[in-house]
Amino acid sequence: MATNLFNWLKQSVLGRSSCKRCLELLELITDEEASPEEVKHFHNHINECLPCYESYNLEKSIKEMLQTKLEKKQVPDDLIQSIKLKIRNNL
Amino acid sequence: MSVEKVKQSYSDVQKEKIFETEFLPHINSMYNFAYRLTFDEDDAKDLVQETYLKAFRFLNSFQQGTNAKAWLFRILKNSFINDFRKKSKQPPKIDYQEVETYYNSDSVDVSMTTDLRVETVQHMIGDEVSNALNALAVDFRTVIILCDLEGFTYEEMSKILDIPIGTVRSRLHRSRNLLKEKLQTYAKSMGYNK
Repeated sequence: MATNLFNWLKQSVLGRSSCKRCLELLELITDEEASPEEVKHFHNHINECLPCYESYNLEKSIKEMLQTKLEKKQVPDDLIQSIKLKIRNNL
Repeated sequence: MSVEKVKQSYSDVQKEKIFETEFLPHINSMYNFAYRLTFDEDDAKDLVQETYLKAFRFLNSFQQGTNAKAWLFRILKNSFINDFRKKSKQPPKIDYQEVETYYNSDSVDVSMTTDLRVETVQHMIGDEVSNALNALAVDFRTVIILCDLEGFTYEEMSKILDIPIGTVRSRLHRSRNLLKEKLQTYAKSMGYNK
């Protein structure tokens, strides 16, 4: 029931130009590439628009997920030594 | 950043210093980037080594104190495309349909096509995230790595990839939508998102 309502809201905002502008700004905002005016406009809008606020949270949570959950590999010990050796031989 | 820029002439001592203080500190990021391109530890090692040797060879094209990380990533990306992919035993995994759909749609579509929920995303574990990212064609995977994992700006990405900023933005947008689709498919198969 709640999901249906949410989807209905989502559909209904697609036609609104302020939401369209907001969604265009979404990635600029989460990537920290937006101008101060754009940031202001965006936050004013999501303060009063639930579907855009949800979209913003989703975008943010995916970015966070990528940053925190992907395994970071350790550089193999011998790699740096091997590079340095090759370079010293080239000097 | 480009190779055509004014040549420097560093002494051997200066070269070693730049290499140690400006290049080597990025080796962790470089190795992880290489691994996410090749999916193989030995290939990643070779690619990183090749990149650092090239960087040293062309050190006079690098201006001390400028963006070493972006410069190194650019060399790595080009090495991967020009030399490495040809030599590699594995054929590149490209989903041509994805690529075609992408190149045929020049407008950035503004749509909320996904039913993916924040709670679903927060419940995903590392392997699931990794599989979804790795399933993307290399061009799409690359922009997500550069932007979301390495924190490069659009302008830096534009230089690393040799594409205009507008293309960086549209490719990122497309990549993220594809990633959401993969995550969504996965979530459905696991019975999340009911």
